[in-house]
Amino acid sequence: MTTATQLRIAGGAVYDPAHGVDGVVRDVCIEGDKVVASLPPGAPRLDARGLVVMPGGVDMHAHIAGGSVNHARRLLPEEHAVDPAPAPQLAAGPRGRSGTGGTLPSSFVTGYRYAGLGYTTAMEAAVAPLTARHAHAELDDTPILDAGCFVLLGNDDFLLRQLAAGETGRARDYAAWLLGATHGYAIKIVNPGGVARWKAGGSDRNVTGLDDPVGSSTVTPRAILETLAGAANALGLPHPVHIHCNNLGQPGNAATTLESMRALGGQRAHFTHLQFHSYGGASGGAWRSAARDVIEYVNAHPEVSVDVGQVMFGAATTVTADGPVEYLLHRSTGRKWVNVDIELETGCGIVPYRYRERAAVAALQWAVGLELFLLARDPWRVALSTDHPNGGSFRSYPELIRLLMDRAYRAEQLKRVNHKLLGGSALLDGLAREYSLSEIAIITRAGPARLLGLSGKGHLGPGADADVTIYTPDADRATMFATPRYVIKAGTVVVEEGQLRHAPDGRRLTVRPEYDSALTPHLRRFFAEYATVAFENYPVAPLP
Amino acid sequence: MSAPERTVEHVTCLGCGCACDDIAVVVTHGQITEARSACGLGREWFGDGSVPGETRVLARVARLDQALAAATQILTGAARPLVYLAADVSCETQRETVAIADRLHAALDGLGAAAAAGVLAAQRRGRASATLGELRQRADLVVFWAVDPGERYPRYTTRYALEPQGLATPEGRASRRVIAVDVGTSHGLPAADARVSIASGDEVDALGVMRATVGGRTGADDARFQPAVDLARRMMQARYVALVADGEPGPAGAAPPDPDRAEALVALAQALNGPTRCALSTLRGGGNRAGAEAVLTWQTGFPMSTDFARGHPEYRPHASAAALLADGAIDAALVVGAPASLPEAVARGLAPIPTVVLGPRASRATFQPAVAIDTGIAGIHEGGTAFRMDDVPLPLRPALEGPRGAATTARLLRERLAS
Repeated sequence: MTTATQLRIAGGAVYDPAHGVDGVVRDVCIEGDKVVASLPPGAPRLDARGLVVMPGGVDMHAHIAGGSVNHARRLLPEEHAVDPAPAPQLAAGPRGRSGTGGTLPSSFVTGYRYAGLGYTTAMEAAVAPLTARHAHAELDDTPILDAGCFVLLGNDDFLLRQLAAGETGRARDYAAWLLGATHGYAIKIVNPGGVARWKAGGSDRNVTGLDDPVGSSTVTPRAILETLAGAANALGLPHPVHIHCNNLGQPGNAATTLESMRALGGQRAHFTHLQFHSYGGASGGAWRSAARDVIEYVNAHPEVSVDVGQVMFGAATTVTADGPVEYLLHRSTGRKWVNVDIELETGCGIVPYRYRERAAVAALQWAVGLELFLLARDPWRVALSTDHPNGGSFRSYPELIRLLMDRAYRAEQLKRVNHKLLGGSALLDGLAREYSLSEIAIITRAGPARLLGLSGKGHLGPGADADVTIYTPDADRATMFATPRYVIKAGTVVVEEGQLRHAPDGRRLTVRPEYDSALTPHLRRFFAEYATVAFENYPVAPLP
Repeated sequence: MSAPERTVEHVTCLGCGCACDDIAVVVTHGQITEARSACGLGREWFGDGSVPGETRVLARVARLDQALAAATQILTGAARPLVYLAADVSCETQRETVAIADRLHAALDGLGAAAAAGVLAAQRRGRASATLGELRQRADLVVFWAVDPGERYPRYTTRYALEPQGLATPEGRASRRVIAVDVGTSHGLPAADARVSIASGDEVDALGVMRATVGGRTGADDARFQPAVDLARRMMQARYVALVADGEPGPAGAAPPDPDRAEALVALAQALNGPTRCALSTLRGGGNRAGAEAVLTWQTGFPMSTDFARGHPEYRPHASAAALLADGAIDAALVVGAPASLPEAVARGLAPIPTVVLGPRASRATFQPAVAIDTGIAGIHEGGTAFRMDDVPLPLRPALEGPRGAATTARLLRERLAS
């Protein structure tokens, strides 16, 4: 029997906001793949004096693996051609794997590059249940990251039928069954009802508000939100329902966003890429920021959490289950476009995009995201994300951190952008706030881990997963966060002096809630009538 | 001891890209005696399940470790190795195979290259598509564009596009209108409600005229395009159009399609999503070739014809394996999958160079491999994952025990190459 590897990360300034530790110089002790309270004096040491020690980063919303991500990769050979990624020379064993980058890197490169930024956990935010097997196969080829899948619900025909029939309990059992069948982690809703309308054809190509009927008068976006939020909470899932609201990207959509939040008033719910849902102005008319209205609601309602979905200037790829939105983007940009309607469940749309400083709408989106961050009062409920790769690549996180931490830099950037639509933006009022390192530690690890219900992540207390990132302090926060000195994943030093040294497999984060087996005959009948995949072949692994 | 007769249910068939997963395979005394629900193509694919289980080096019977050692020597000694993904292996095996190509700095290609026109069109324009089950639920107008799926995709119409009832097509076939487009001698589905005939030289222009019509622009006043204009108008009036075309090359000897055809089909399908909804369903062959494209894409960023010579993947869509072999650039090769599936030009190009074949019936290749390692067939002897033509992943349920597994053997080879 071998003893677990021990490592004392000695003398670093530790930022562990979950334990109220704010830059205190202390040791962090690791034994095996866990953080422990102490180690014998002779244990191996990693000299962290003068360095900043944080838990490993946790990205709670990104598109990194699975059917739609792979459709997007396939669409973008030109991006991959200009960003080759040779195989890293690891410390032991054979070289790692080569690949390509761009906004949607190949799977191995995704793992390497996340780790290279100090991230050790990421959630794939939109998995069509039918293709969950694919997402897991890709995650098997995405090293280092611990990962979970958010499973798409809310436009699926079985669920909508239960709503039409008033079978809320069966809808809940179905959600529980589906999470188990797909090895999922959380329930994701994308444009509730809107994708179903898009797929149905006919003149109603999307929903416009919470009370539009979807097939049946009792099936509305509101009913879908209420049912699934209730299901997630009743099932005691570690992460509440994860919501991409109706009307993404439309002027005036803040009203819909606020109405969605109010509809779930009192229930735990997570609203994702809030930036894309915080616009004022009239539908079809001019745009303006409504960030202040939206974030003030969030500030006042502790049951609500969000991630921002910041837009960063440069290349992006919009990838979403929100098919009708991508159609509009294709029409307005003329860029190439993928749409794949996914049987009985959801949609998939992809359009490559570039956010330009000189473009009025992109500048507004950039400003709205920053406003949300800077006006948020409780960083524990406002996670950092770019909705990778929709608002920009995860590789732009260091730049985003600099924008949040460095007011002078932010002011300089603001001067460069198109101001046409920025009237009314709090950013123009000169928001003085600068995020502290502790707050950055909250929005990039401690907060998302807590919101995800990952008790072993995002902190450095005894029993935590030994995922640790060690940075060299630098006044240029982008430089500091772009090149961690060391990254430790499950007790293994994966990045050393900025070089990738080990690439262990990541772990899969899953839930398997209980459900009433009275559901099964209903499901079997539905499969027999409509599905093209056998009920027995649908789950990722055979269900007990 | 196994019972003399047993039945394995819900088996996925890889006989074509339909990947029907409703097959019940009856095994009697260790042989497949029936593949219930399978079409003729499927029954042929399952056969009786008997495959050779040989391991040969230079045609002589060898042990596996000898074969792997010889394979390693051949592949690591090559200046310009080729790795080729052939049919009838699982995604798990394909993942190992791409890893091997990466390790060897090899050129990597597969069966997908034969359907390059469609892949490249989708990379230039994107796609307007749907999974097959969504066509079943929604499509009230199905247009078979110069293809009769009955020939190469026999159950496409009964399982997906035409016969079965769906949410918005409760009467099955009676809920759908079917139009066959005959392009030259390539005919659409015989049992259509209406037919449109287009001269083969006019195909791309006709698609362009249709797209213009959909976009509200007046079509050409040339009378020969009037049927195309009328067809476009009918498509615009449907609630959800399924436009079905073949993505695979025609039979040997058939005239190659216009290289712009695939793009014109995508463009029309996309344009139809203005006035109505439309999905282009591109028919693809079997043997898990869709899986190979998916795996190649997620591991390298490119779906086919990728070259690791410079230590990272580079896309060479116009330098397929057949072209590289014809140029004499390749000095050794690894084929993973059934050599029987190799395009003739590839098999011919492999014959003069030392080739390692690891896959079903490797020892029966039409050329003489330097190393031949027989494995079972994915879906018959070996489990794992395969992709349907519409990228829906399915589990494989082996009915038989076979010779050694392809995934395990490919892993052994990769580990050897890494050491």
